[in-house]
Amino acid sequence: MKYSFSKIIIFLGFIILIYSCSKDSGSSDSLAANTGTTTGQGGSLARFTISGDYLYAVTNNSLYAYDIGDPANPVQTYMQDIGFSVETIYPYGDKLFIGTTTGLFIYSIATPSSPVRIGEATHARSCDPVVANDSIAFVTLKGNSNCGPAISGLYVHDIRNVLSPQLINTIPISSPEGLGLKESTLYVCCNTGGLKVFNVSNPVHPAEIRTITGAYFKDVIPFGDLLICYVSDGIMLYDISDPTNPVQVKMITNS
Amino acid sequence: MRLLLFSTIVLISISSCWTKPRPRPTTSYVHVIGNKPVYLGLDTAKKISYMNTALPVAAAGNIYAKGDRIYQLELGRGIHVIDNSVPSQAHRIGFITVNGSSQISIRDNYLYVNNYNDLVTIDISNPANITEVHRITNAFQDGLNNYYLAEPAEQGYYQCFSYYPDSVVVGWVKDSIWTSCFKN
Repeated sequence: MKYSFSKIIIFLGFIILIYSCSKDSGSSDSLAANTGTTTGQGGSLARFTISGDYLYAVTNNSLYAYDIGDPANPVQTYMQDIGFSVETIYPYGDKLFIGTTTGLFIYSIATPSSPVRIGEATHARSCDPVVANDSIAFVTLKGNSNCGPAISGLYVHDIRNVLSPQLINTIPISSPEGLGLKESTLYVCCNTGGLKVFNVSNPVHPAEIRTITGAYFKDVIPFGDLLICYVSDGIMLYDISDPTNPVQVKMITNS
Repeated sequence: MRLLLFSTIVLISISSCWTKPRPRPTTSYVHVIGNKPVYLGLDTAKKISYMNTALPVAAAGNIYAKGDRIYQLELGRGIHVIDNSVPSQAHRIGFITVNGSSQISIRDNYLYVNNYNDLVTIDISNPANITEVHRITNAFQDGLNNYYLAEPAEQGYYQCFSYYPDSVVVGWVKDSIWTSCFKN
């Protein structure tokens, strides 16, 4: 898929929040508190995502919402042309983060049936998957002939004021692709450059801990204690019970 | 006077037709061995099915995890199912055929996937009997219709294809073709 698409401060409160939100034991499906329904987890390059009782989908130019309260009978509740070259969608809390070739759009889904754009961080034309929490959005921008002229790297945005995201740091990385966040550890796929592991307990200054090489990393899903990596030759599984020290447990080859 | 004006206009317009014959179109048709599209009727191409066989991954797409399963898109073809109940022994166990697919998401036992421009809901509660339970035809009106097989994967000449309302391209074969279409 060709897709396109910036700062921060983390405070004690944020850290507490991250830890209070992580419930990583056994299965990592998210379990809705009231309904007992379970939803799986996609990577940061996904164009489909489920939040609450809604399936959200992005096509090249549009955002769709489907009510899946009755999961066997999805009903479209929203469809809107939202811009140019939409690439990825990532849900967190009552927000959707949408990566496009021209910027990061933040939508409120406080009313899940009809998303409303509340914030936007524009950037140079590029490809940009995103992960986020309440305070910070991490975006990887890949500038190249297909995506645009942006300087490739990890862009950190302070989104505490979602109406006006602020770029607080930029870490140059060549050809970054998908990324994943587990508690205060951020995994960034860097193609042939491997998988970079960052400590983001101070998100203003992500600290690179290590780089795992040997594969062409495209996307990751932190799934409980397992890191599922989509690499060019297959799927790599890592034990991340110590999030900063992934230990390979399996390589499922494509052949 | 009016006659003169009229005659002048007529003469000018006629002469403008004559003075510059348009150059012939410069399309360069070639007779080569290239890729020819394989069409399949939409009714057949939209059939969802499951096979209890691990297939190799040719055009890897997005991954998705739920419970003890991992799913991976085979772009334009369907979904590989991976048993991840014991991660150290994780392996592909089956394949859900969904032509024209690129995106999935799962709620409970229902898998949502695009099948060309349609949004299809598949009941995966019984792995041996995976069934389509719901379909919204033409749910996605843009973007997803640029499905993976709409162009040959490799560079070179291919037979320019037509869009038919009742069929889709499901693959490409090598053949002797007369064409002007070239993929860079």
